[in-house]
Amino acid sequence: MRAGVFICECGGNISGVVEMEPLAAHARTLDGVVEVAVNQFMCGTEGRDLIAKAVEERGLDHVVIASCSPRFQGPTFERIARELKLGENAVAFANIREGCSFVHRNEPERAQEKAKLIVEAAVARVRHQSDLPRQRTFLHRSVLVVGGGIAGMAAAEELAGAGMDVHLVEREQSLGGFMARLAKTFPTEDCAMCSLAPRLTSTALDGHIHIHTLTEVDELTGPPGEFRVKLRHKPRYVSEACVGCGECVAVCPVKLPSHYDLGICAQTAISRPFANAVPSTFAVEKKGWSPCKSACAVHTSAQGYVALVAEGRFEDAYRVASEPNPFPSVCGRICTALCEVACTRGEVDDPIAIASLKRFVADTVGPTLPVEPAPVIHEEPVAIVGAGPAGLTCARDLAHLGYKVTVFEAQPVAGGMLRTGIPDYRLPHDVIQREIDQVLALGVELKLGQRAGADFTVDGLFDEGYRAVYLATGLQKSAEVELPGDDLDGVTRAVELLRELNLGGTPAVGDKIVVIGGGDVALDAARSAIRLQQQRGVEPDVTLVYRRTEVEMPANASEVDEAKEEGLQVEFLVHPLEIIGDAGGAGEGSFARVAGIKLQRCELGEPDESGRRQPIPVEGSEFELAVDTVVFAVGQALVDDFAQGCAGLTVERGQIRVDRETMMTTREGVFAGGDAAATGFYTAIEAVAAGRRGAAAIHNHLRGARLLPVWEEAWDEAHPSAEELEGVEIGQRVPMAMADGLARRADWAEISRGYSAEEAVAEAERCLDCAVCSGCDSCARVCPSGAIDWDQRETTEEITVGAVILATGHRQFDAARKIPLGYGRHANVIDQGQLSRLLSAAGPTEGELYRPSDGKVPKSVFMLQCVGSRDVTSTGNAHCSAICCLFATLNASLIRQHHPDTEVTIGYTDLRAPGKAHEEYYRLVQERGVRYVRGRVGEILEEQDASLRVRFEDTMTGRKQEELFDLVVLSAGLEGSDGTRDIARVAGVQTGAGGFIREYHPKLRPVDTQRTGMFVAGTAQGPKNIPDSIAQAKAAAARAIAMLSSGFTMTAAQVAASDPAVCIGCGVCEAACPQSAIVLTVGTDAHSVVDPNICRGCGICAAECPTGAIQLGGFSDAEVLAEATLA
Amino acid sequence: MTEERSIVAFCCRECAYAAADASANARTPLPPSVRLVLLPCTGRVSPLHLVTALAEGADGVMVAGCLLGQCHYREGNFNAVDRVAFVQRLLESVSVEPERCRMFTMSAGEPPKFVAAVKEMDRVIGALPPLQRRGDPIGVGAAATRAV
Repeated sequence: MRAGVFICECGGNISGVVEMEPLAAHARTLDGVVEVAVNQFMCGTEGRDLIAKAVEERGLDHVVIASCSPRFQGPTFERIARELKLGENAVAFANIREGCSFVHRNEPERAQEKAKLIVEAAVARVRHQSDLPRQRTFLHRSVLVVGGGIAGMAAAEELAGAGMDVHLVEREQSLGGFMARLAKTFPTEDCAMCSLAPRLTSTALDGHIHIHTLTEVDELTGPPGEFRVKLRHKPRYVSEACVGCGECVAVCPVKLPSHYDLGICAQTAISRPFANAVPSTFAVEKKGWSPCKSACAVHTSAQGYVALVAEGRFEDAYRVASEPNPFPSVCGRICTALCEVACTRGEVDDPIAIASLKRFVADTVGPTLPVEPAPVIHEEPVAIVGAGPAGLTCARDLAHLGYKVTVFEAQPVAGGMLRTGIPDYRLPHDVIQREIDQVLALGVELKLGQRAGADFTVDGLFDEGYRAVYLATGLQKSAEVELPGDDLDGVTRAVELLRELNLGGTPAVGDKIVVIGGGDVALDAARSAIRLQQQRGVEPDVTLVYRRTEVEMPANASEVDEAKEEGLQVEFLVHPLEIIGDAGGAGEGSFARVAGIKLQRCELGEPDESGRRQPIPVEGSEFELAVDTVVFAVGQALVDDFAQGCAGLTVERGQIRVDRETMMTTREGVFAGGDAAATGFYTAIEAVAAGRRGAAAIHNHLRGARLLPVWEEAWDEAHPSAEELEGVEIGQRVPMAMADGLARRADWAEISRGYSAEEAVAEAERCLDCAVCSGCDSCARVCPSGAIDWDQRETTEEITVGAVILATGHRQFDAARKIPLGYGRHANVIDQGQLSRLLSAAGPTEGELYRPSDGKVPKSVFMLQCVGSRDVTSTGNAHCSAICCLFATLNASLIRQHHPDTEVTIGYTDLRAPGKAHEEYYRLVQERGVRYVRGRVGEILEEQDASLRVRFEDTMTGRKQEELFDLVVLSAGLEGSDGTRDIARVAGVQTGAGGFIREYHPKLRPVDTQRTGMFVAGTAQGPKNIPDSIAQAKAAAARAIAMLSSGFTMTAAQVAASDPAVCIGCGVCEAACPQSAIVLTVGTDAHSVVDPNICRGCGICAAECPTGAIQLGGFSDAEVLAEATLA
Repeated sequence: MTEERSIVAFCCRECAYAAADASANARTPLPPSVRLVLLPCTGRVSPLHLVTALAEGADGVMVAGCLLGQCHYREGNFNAVDRVAFVQRLLESVSVEPERCRMFTMSAGEPPKFVAAVKEMDRVIGALPPLQRRGDPIGVGAAATRAV
């Protein structure tokens, strides 16, 4: 080492106490010192030249400055050392002024000794000092501003002005934040929106500012200067073609509490928060598919038509209900209605009567709408075999797509099992026929009495010129049953019995009937049998025997109840063993008849692979019933005559084999669906769904391209939160009027009357709007620019920015947490934010103060301060929210000006008016007649007329008082918003009490956060008013500009570094670092790595390190120990 | 050093050293026994520094830092409190007076507190008998002398 010691006299400050020559002489004796010089002012130009000359002439590599405190002139000498190419860490400081001469003036001898010691220590230290590595980091000249309120926009403006690229991210639909909700601002009573609107416009027009609304920040990683950000854009479902006309709002049937108006009034699902929103495009709040839509096999927008019924828009409702399903009147009567099982309302009281509402609109509107024939635009004719729900739905969809369709039906009537299986009292034949006729009216040809395999073949259809065939032949016969005695006279099968009945016959049934089975068909057969007996003049005696219990019965629960009303007897957990014939009739030609049935009781055992519990016979529990008719209703089976003359078709296990993606069978051009090729339950609505898929598949096949999706892409299921459900008042479903149970057996008339219009509307109003947007498509129908786009999806975007400003704002304290104040329970208790909306000239009441309960102008208003603020209980925040006193004063002033007859009282704790002109404004408002009462409120009670009885203490008089007010406004305090809490988590910055982001140092670094390169501004940092938010935002912007303006930076010298050769990978440093600047690598040679961009140079890691592998630049153990121990 | 006693004060740059500078600028006299060592943060102080200083000749070591909760590097002084407590236990276990190692906190705006801390340390150490050291100076470990 060749060190030079340069001793400063400091103009007598040092030399007046410490003698220079003896000190210099001592320094010359120190090991490694080759040059010592004294100067009057070493920090001046003369001193600098002295040092420079010595460095050059004497070849110095280290320098010790014996002068004032390094905190004072340290940077001066470090700069000199840098300029002399020694590196700034080549300088050590001997503080002989503040550290010696200043404080030992009365003890010069001891001062002298101490000065020598201090110089000695500095020389010992400098020996271990060497140049520190610096890295050049590239800084992206772009900034992410999270939060598009006034603070975010103010920061963005500065940054854009400095030529920085700004990504302004806002989670709401528009920029504006809380200020956009205000009526006026204090103390000037400027209109808030008038001040904000020009700012909104200029932000929108600025080419440097990229605005991302309905966007979340999901990830924020990387070092300062190169932050990597993952943004998630939520879909608006409205494209930029939107011209902002608002036609959609007028037709949207869904209402929800308005986000923009803070819940004081309602908005529609499609909306724009305010007129000068940025961007001006509307947006749809759509949480996904409602549970009813998800559960439906054709994904009917049930929430949609229910919402339209609630508004009395029956024609629109019919359009929504019938769009995916040509049989709404049918399904409204007989569907299994999985939608009702899934209905969220069922968690509160009864599910919505979705099916009955569909029946209502279909019965009311269906017959009135004319059906125009669909134009044929494709040359390929299509044949459909089977005129049931699957076949006819396929026909309808193909007709709409422009194909010529011919339907072949074996029976003399169309409708399939709907027609021949379901009796009239459940589904009148004329209802089915009307909806069939509406399909045929599209131009679909129907040929009855045509059986495939007999009257024509599928091969033959292709020969005739058909280019595709859809097999929808269903399951037309009963499943095989084997039971001793099943060939006796009087044993019949339900499918065949019902077909005979529905085709106009009168099936022969005896006087004592047993029906075996538990599905809808069994119930249909049993209830039909009851009617047949009744109408024959015999007292109905029908017993249903089912081998499991009522819970496991496949039949609709309502069907069983209705059957019991009609006198059906039911035996559960019973299965048949043998049918007993009568012993007599031994003569020639007489067939033995059913005389009884032997049954056995069962118990339910473990579930089998289908998940259903298996019935296990109970030994010795046999019993007999005397019956003369046995009806089997234990399943349906395929009649496969169509397979004759259909080469290449595969039928296996009683089903036509079909490719699930293309719906095509193993024969090219032949498709199949419905019960005959089931992909789900064997229900009517599944058949309709199959028909739709078949049509799409056939269209794709004939056009040679995947033009339509065969299976509809399912959206996520949406659901109100448990909290939202708690607020719903318990009621019940509007009951359906039914014909009397016993009387209705006398005929086949429909037994349920259907809803009236009043009943339907009342029932529809119970809907909870699970998905918010109901999918009714009303907006799309009226939009003049076709801007509604349901294909939009969430997208992600990755950007890189140099710095981040968090300006995510605040939320109002939830005053409902203060239970005695009645917020959320009493209609006329609101908060200041909501009051601002009412007082806003552009607000829901156009500035008139109408109170929520009855819309009357209140004659007296009470405002309560410090709600949730200055509150040390567990239900409040300890801090003062800074603005509420003025906020209340402002709103009180506006009320007094607009409604001079209304009295306003403000109950305050302390009236805080610290800002510029705030105190003057407070006096002015007092002169406007606002009454200020110092006191705390104990309780707010609601009167019969929804006015409020406020109990409070007036601390000036010491009296407890009670007064009536028409309206109470709570000055709810400020807390960190949900967005603030969310971004703090994502960005890794700390929040403090109240949920506000912690600044790096409350006094000295108020806009920095603990993460280098991330700054905070506005109410996200703490409660403050608008000018303070703007000032802080501009300060944060200045910080970011200062950081990024040079385009690159050198990392600081005083940063930690880890020697991988010494590091043992214990990870203590990683855990200890308060900046999270240290990462432990993975693998066998795990060692710590310090990011010099993030390290702040505190040295905690170096103190923790057990091996000394991590050292702090400029403060290594060697350097510190040398100075402390003079080693 | 004075034949009296020597005390090494590890001071953080932001608060303690700043308070020291401020009191010195006001020419407040201090006992000459205390010599200041500048650190960025008391979080940098390790037991190695404290024990070695005592072993190599200091009669007392003090750590002076920011008020708890106001550390300019967020939490360094909390770490220092823990380490000082550890060294005190260590000293006790080898029959050395634990008060030879102490921590004081003050803000940069409280120079009198710095002065009081120095005077207190000087008084306490002055009342103690000289520190017994046996054998050769321990020197410092190879790892600790590795410069950056």
